[in-house]
Amino acid sequence: MRRIVLTAFVLFVGALGPAILTAAADPAAVINNLGNRALEVLGKNATPAQRVARFHELFREDFDVPGIARFVLGRYWKTATPEQQDEFTRLFEDYIAIVYSSQLSAYTGETLKVTGSRADPEGAIVASEIIRPSGAPPVKVEWHLADQHGTYKIRDVAVDGISMAVTQRSEFASVIQRNGGQVQGLIAMLREKTGSASGR
Amino acid sequence: MNLRPLCLVFSNLALLSTVILSGCATPPNNAQPEATEAEDFNDPFEDANRAIFDFNQVVDRNVLVPVAKAYRTVLPDAVRDSLRDFLRNLREPIIFANNALQGDFDHAGQTFARFTLNSTLGVGGLIDVAGRWGQLPYYEQDLGLTFGVWGIPEGPYLVVPVLGPSDPRDLIGQVGEGFGDPFNRLVTGNPYTLYWIPFVRGGVSGIDQRSRYIETLADIERTSLDYYATIRSLYRQRRAALIRHEKEQNLPPPASFSRNDGPVPSVKPPQAAMASEAQTISEVAR
Repeated sequence: MRRIVLTAFVLFVGALGPAILTAAADPAAVINNLGNRALEVLGKNATPAQRVARFHELFREDFDVPGIARFVLGRYWKTATPEQQDEFTRLFEDYIAIVYSSQLSAYTGETLKVTGSRADPEGAIVASEIIRPSGAPPVKVEWHLADQHGTYKIRDVAVDGISMAVTQRSEFASVIQRNGGQVQGLIAMLREKTGSASGR
Repeated sequence: MNLRPLCLVFSNLALLSTVILSGCATPPNNAQPEATEAEDFNDPFEDANRAIFDFNQVVDRNVLVPVAKAYRTVLPDAVRDSLRDFLRNLREPIIFANNALQGDFDHAGQTFARFTLNSTLGVGGLIDVAGRWGQLPYYEQDLGLTFGVWGIPEGPYLVVPVLGPSDPRDLIGQVGEGFGDPFNRLVTGNPYTLYWIPFVRGGVSGIDQRSRYIETLADIERTSLDYYATIRSLYRQRRAALIRHEKEQNLPPPASFSRNDGPVPSVKPPQAAMASEAQTISEVAR
């Protein structure tokens, strides 16, 4: 499923390109623009480390990273110390960058078409479809954006009705529970996962 | 909401019967938002489920994946697609029944048209004529979804040996479909009594499906901190989304996407407790 989400990042903007860059206040434009940015992440001959770095940048600029980090930690956010919250947010960002940038490499020419957008108490929801070159039925992807002082930041991605943020939160909660309710257990696992995968 | 007779029908299935019955005893969900539903683990049998999950992983690694890879390597794409279309065509009568049971007559008509076209022009279903040239794509349905559309709760999350993630609602649905399937009834009834055919059909269908998700599942497993928990969440959210989608389809057409007065689902699930405190933490299963 994550693979499908990743392909969602990679979209074909075609003629829209530069015109849309100026319209950052339009939530649909944010998603359209994301596709160009994702193709930049892939780049030509980019090394895995370069891809991770570029994804970091994209994630920080287009996503509400602090909001997402808080959400995926759920009720354990409040039980964590400020130091743990900081470290968790940092590790979470690393984790997402490593996971998603490596999976973006599996890109096989999928295109993403924005099919509509609607307002929402938090900001906006942009609906899109991933068109697959294989001719398989398109995958529906909904982007949930938060309006932060006039700029839109992505807060969640729902693929065929499955929320990536809810999935992540459920997994993290399970890890914490199995570590005796300690956030530190999750932090240790994230350290290990990001440390080994990035070769540090 | 009358589940008890159904439960009794299956109660003599020694395996899992207690689990199923306790699931049926679960009171209906009192209209909680979906977000809370997805948030809760809903997994009172987690220790047993994790043990079965681990067992399934061993079977998956050593049997299913190697066979699925061989299947993918040996058979050309066209042959595999044709086989998949044939197996799908065998399911159309059951899908038709589910469409009708859900009151979704548009799809019932489409399913009927597909089955008729593909069984004849499509040479017994080997070619998906209706999907390829008739603008009538395959549309999956099952009895578990029908129960969900009727408002029957899912019951506790279950991991079934070999079959994988499920819940009492879906498991009963699967068993019910197995017995009710017209094709299965035909080949196992007089004068054929070929009891092995439904098993072969199920096996091939399982391998075909597994072969289409080899990389996806491997990716998720590799990047997960807790693969079991991720699969549990994905399964439950997916089933809930399908049921929601079916229910929405039976309503009048929704407001246009670009308008601001459309139905607004909650983006941010309430900060309700994720799992009950009573849930015991286990260090055993892993």
